[in-house]
Amino acid sequence: MTLLHDASDRLRRLRAACWQLARALREWYLRPSTRELRGLKLLREWLSREQLAQYDAHRYFDVVGNHTARRYRIYHGNGANVVELNDAALPRTGWCFVPRDHLVAGDVMLAQKIALETDERGALAAANNFTPR
Amino acid sequence: MATQIIMDLNGDTRHNFDAKNVKALLEAERRFKALTGAGFTAATRTASGEPVVIRMFDPSVEETLFFPRLVGG
Repeated sequence: MTLLHDASDRLRRLRAACWQLARALREWYLRPSTRELRGLKLLREWLSREQLAQYDAHRYFDVVGNHTARRYRIYHGNGANVVELNDAALPRTGWCFVPRDHLVAGDVMLAQKIALETDERGALAAANNFTPR
Repeated sequence: MATQIIMDLNGDTRHNFDAKNVKALLEAERRFKALTGAGFTAATRTASGEPVVIRMFDPSVEETLFFPRLVGG
């Protein structure tokens, strides 16, 4: 009986150790790269206080277009991540425009923010639109 | 110390220069012209933090950010 109890206890501890190892491996595999971290740091430096709070809470932030005062939501990502919102803050149109060079998500989002806040029409002229989900 | 930040494959590359140093200033201006000529957008921030696009090199700007031309995805 004691032998069975010991074996069960060892098995439980082994399972816990394996679970811990699996979690550590998953975190290591999913860790952001240095360049991704650098991009996110730059983004955070350029976001307004409100945008930063929104991004930290939801992984998106809103910007207002400088020509039409329409509101756009920029989701974390590096493509098909900009959605124009209607007056009820619901998705109306998706806009896809990205820097020509392959950049990390933080850089892409920052370029999209600056473009919409300083040259909304130019950004949308370059963009393809899509129906947001 | 002024800084030019260029978005690139590494996240970004930063060039710091002393705006009082004529040689460094000329190099910064050359870099500005080369990048904007290649289609990069140059942006800076107002005192309140709002982004502003600049078309001409301004030696008084402390931080300029360059990002590549935007294209439809």
